Amino acid sequence: MIEGNIEVIKTIAAGLAIGLGALGPGLGIGLLAAKAMESLGRNPEAARPIQLNMIIAIAFTEAIAIYALVVAVIIIFLG
Amino acid sequence: MGRLLSSPKVLLIGAAALALIIAGLAGGALGGAFGGGFIGAPIAHIQLAAEPITASPQIADIPFFGDFRITNTMVAAWSAIVVLAVISWLGTRRLKEVPGRLQGALEAVMEVFLNACETVAGPERGRRFFPLVMTIFLFVVAANWMGILPGFGTIGRFESAEEVIHHAEEKAEKDGEHADLDNVKLAVFDGDGFLAVQPFGSVNEEITGAEYEEMEEGARPRAGLLVPFFRSANTDINMTLGLALVAMVMVHYWGVSVLGLFTHVGKYFNFREGPIMLFVGLLEGLSEIARVISFTFRLFGNIFAGEVLLIVMAFLVPLVGIVPFLGLELFVGLVQAFIFAMLTLVFAATATIHHDSEGH
Repeated sequence: MIEGNIEVIKTIAAGLAIGLGALGPGLGIGLLAAKAMESLGRNPEAARPIQLNMIIAIAFTEAIAIYALVVAVIIIFLG
Repeated sequence: MGRLLSSPKVLLIGAAALALIIAGLAGGALGGAFGGGFIGAPIAHIQLAAEPITASPQIADIPFFGDFRITNTMVAAWSAIVVLAVISWLGTRRLKEVPGRLQGALEAVMEVFLNACETVAGPERGRRFFPLVMTIFLFVVAANWMGILPGFGTIGRFESAEEVIHHAEEKAEKDGEHADLDNVKLAVFDGDGFLAVQPFGSVNEEITGAEYEEMEEGARPRAGLLVPFFRSANTDINMTLGLALVAMVMVHYWGVSVLGLFTHVGKYFNFREGPIMLFVGLLEGLSEIARVISFTFRLFGNIFAGEVLLIVMAFLVPLVGIVPFLGLELFVGLVQAFIFAMLTLVFAATATIHHDSEGH
């Protein structure tokens, strides 16, 4: 039974992989931006270093979503 | 607001934009589901690996390597290099004390990165890291921005249905399976001979390989796939892996040349401070490998996902759906290039700090 539905299962798996994988990084980037905004409000002069560090930290957080994306792409194209 | 609305120019532009949005909504695949779809074409073929731009390999059967084929991402990467070279030549051909527009722009970009290098790594080491950091930024941003130009992914070689089916069968044979032609999707093209185009309103004109095989020899439509001549360079994982390896090899080269071979390697194989520090060192060594992987997939994933997003939006709502996402891709391309360069700089700076003076 599973034999015939392998394409369907692949599609569901890829959707779940990126959907669940984007949850954590989404929360993380939200938290990061919230904290950066907060510190910007407290100390507007520090805008440049805050911005730079925020972007670098977001890159690390976002990388996890990208791993999920790569897994989803592998399931669809190569799985 | 009232004055704006009474101006005939603004009204005209607004009406044109509204007409475009309505035409896009009704004419694309979204409208196609309700009987519209008079503008769109079938969704472009999304492929993970870069496609070769010619049917036959440039150099066949090199020992140990197999065939050498020029792929569309290679063409895009080389054109990015040519564009960068021409811009730098034009900008530095007549250097002036008071810079002109192009020289001024180039100097502004350089200054941002030179300042960043010097604040992160100090004036002496910063100047040493600067050339690689700047090169990575310029190349990646040029490649990313060129990747969303018109012509990328839309103009290319016509691969006929026979070729596509042949490739699918060859691949299945290699895996020891039977080719599943139901999963081979083909688009129907117009025109004959040299020229083949996907006409307006061909949203649903898609057939599978199996259907094509069943048709009579004379009644077959001109089906096949488009293999673009240009494709954004960083959608090829070989490109981003190459960049990541260059960056990390240089980081460790600098580590060795500043600290000496034994100090640098001793950070990862630490036998002097007990088993816990040995384990910490080994973990650090592992994380160096993880950095290569995350460099590779961060850039590849972002740019590839962006391309797929653009393809899907252009398929769902042609003419207008793609416009906001082009802006997003400009931003993503810049940020990813910046991150790649900045992380290289930060890794290089931490690899060249003496362990004792790290202060933790």
